[in-house]
Amino acid sequence: MKQILVAVCVALLVVGCGTKGGTQGQKAAIEQRDLFEQKDKQTADDAAKQAKIQQEQDELKKQLEEQKRRQEEAARKAAEAEQPVVKPLAEAGVTGKSLNDPATMLKDASSPLSKRSIYYDFDAYNIKDEFQSLVEAHSKFLQEHKEFKVRVEGNCDERGSREYNLALGQRRADSVKRAMTLLGVPPKQIETVSFGSEKPKALGHDEEAWGENRRSDIVYIGIDTQQ
Amino acid sequence: MKNTGRPVPFRPIRNKQHWTWRLAACLLLCLSAATARAQLTIEIIGGGADQIPITILPLADEEKFQQRISQIVAADLARSGRFRLQEIGSVRPLPSEPPEVNYRYWKNRGSQTLVIGKVAARSDGKVEIRFRMLDTVKENQTLGYAYTVVVPQMRAIAHKIADIIYEKLTGESGVFSTRIAYVAQFPKRFELHVADADGENSQFILAHKEPIISPAWSPDGTRIAYVSFEQRRSIIFIHNLVDGTRRVLAAYDGINSSPAWAPDGNRLAIALSKDGVSQIYMINADGSGVTRLTNSNAIDIEPSFAPDGKSILFTSDRGGSPQIYRMSTAGGGVERMTFEGSYNVTPRYSPDGKSFAFIQRAQGRYGLAIMDLNTRQVQVLTDTPLNGSPTFAPNGRLILYASIVGGHGILAAVSSDGRIKQKITASAQDVREPAWGPLVGNR
Repeated sequence: MKQILVAVCVALLVVGCGTKGGTQGQKAAIEQRDLFEQKDKQTADDAAKQAKIQQEQDELKKQLEEQKRRQEEAARKAAEAEQPVVKPLAEAGVTGKSLNDPATMLKDASSPLSKRSIYYDFDAYNIKDEFQSLVEAHSKFLQEHKEFKVRVEGNCDERGSREYNLALGQRRADSVKRAMTLLGVPPKQIETVSFGSEKPKALGHDEEAWGENRRSDIVYIGIDTQQ
Repeated sequence: MKNTGRPVPFRPIRNKQHWTWRLAACLLLCLSAATARAQLTIEIIGGGADQIPITILPLADEEKFQQRISQIVAADLARSGRFRLQEIGSVRPLPSEPPEVNYRYWKNRGSQTLVIGKVAARSDGKVEIRFRMLDTVKENQTLGYAYTVVVPQMRAIAHKIADIIYEKLTGESGVFSTRIAYVAQFPKRFELHVADADGENSQFILAHKEPIISPAWSPDGTRIAYVSFEQRRSIIFIHNLVDGTRRVLAAYDGINSSPAWAPDGNRLAIALSKDGVSQIYMINADGSGVTRLTNSNAIDIEPSFAPDGKSILFTSDRGGSPQIYRMSTAGGGVERMTFEGSYNVTPRYSPDGKSFAFIQRAQGRYGLAIMDLNTRQVQVLTDTPLNGSPTFAPNGRLILYASIVGGHGILAAVSSDGRIKQKITASAQDVREPAWGPLVGNR
């Protein structure tokens, strides 16, 4: 794929240079050489970045598969041991009030569910390892509590382009949604929105503020919101 | 557009749900004189070489009016960085008609160009403004015009006179009669403002507690497209400046971003993520006929039309980092334009289509840069660390942009050769998201 992209880019460059007027032949030749020199360097940079993104995506996929495998194994073991499963009890209404109220669970500071923010590197939207457990906890909760809905809000730091950041924030929110749906959460329980760099939580103009603002928040509708 | 120099009336939008904002804003305006007009102050930092010396005399009887024509004209010309305004000296009386002019005296004071004139109140309440531009070497008149206007138009006429002088002496269009849009941010409110190019007459056309970004003028200057978060997500609106009405252009699932008008004013290029990741689409100005232009699985955003309408520059991270690309308006023939660095964004075609401005990250700084499309040479025009949202003056001479200086959002402008710099501040507020309006009206 990468090779094809590179080949297409090079081909486009050649075509682009080739279409310049003949009277500018000498000038065009000089431009062409310069562009190729820059191109080689840039292609290496981009290829490295692409490879990094691909690697991160592969890792995420591997982790999700591992998670799924573990869940399946746990379910299989439980079935083999002929142990009673919690879920039918809950559906039978046995959970009642004596068990944790889900809304309370969300607010319990000792629960991993109380953490709602996923942080990113600059210009990145992949979910880093340290936030996998957070995404898994919320995914599990949402699967067990179908009455809950979340809105994933993607945010970016203030640097660069507001428009690009709006698209990047959407990618951040969408990547959380994708991870959650891969873990089994029905898509209709998750909506996404991007605020780009328009609603910064930290108002400074330094690395600390920027790091805080490169973030996706998992917002429980009706719990974290007013309505 | 048939606009004869009459300022287009702005009214805050008539939408009922915004009445509260109008009232709240009005109240605030009354309470606080400092923010009452949110006026901008423009400070010139650099000056161009080869400044043209010019002497602008007070027009006779102009002091009887609040708007002093000669001062507005002189301020306009000085702010452009291309003129050196000469002292008027102590000889009195000052001439207001050619027979009164001692050409040799003014030539010896150092300028070939002398501007004189007079202002007279008429019995019908209107005002007649006469001005002449004289050549002190040739000892004759270069040009002269008379205008009959109502008092509120005097400022606009002064800008028009400045435009005429600028055009005559530089050979380029003057932009003193144009307007700019920008967003002012208060602690709990965002306002989209429209002001004269000199920062005066600023008034908001939309105020809301949620952010407003990406304002874009229609080519005829009667409408502004922008992205508002008033429904807690990005939605593109088109706001009619003439009657104050507005309507939704695009409110699809996901992001609705980056409105850019085609030169014909009938269509816009926009960015939507309704089909996955942000892609570029064409849409009619009435919201119909959405067609997809790009087909990548990467972010494609920030379209900018070439002045001839044949190609579009845009930002894409299809190569692994955000870079600037060009394609035909039909969507084909994609060519990568930027290769230096790992973050090149926000391309804006120059009005002559020969170059484009953009934001380039280098050594952690987000600089405003310009690329010559013929030589592909890039020149960085700023030395501050955080810059964005460049917008060309319609004559291509200046680029207005947003910057963060001392923790505050300000606007700044730099000439496309990097020589002239302006800093534009607003008291007690952050300003950002500038958009320079088109040349309108006939002269």
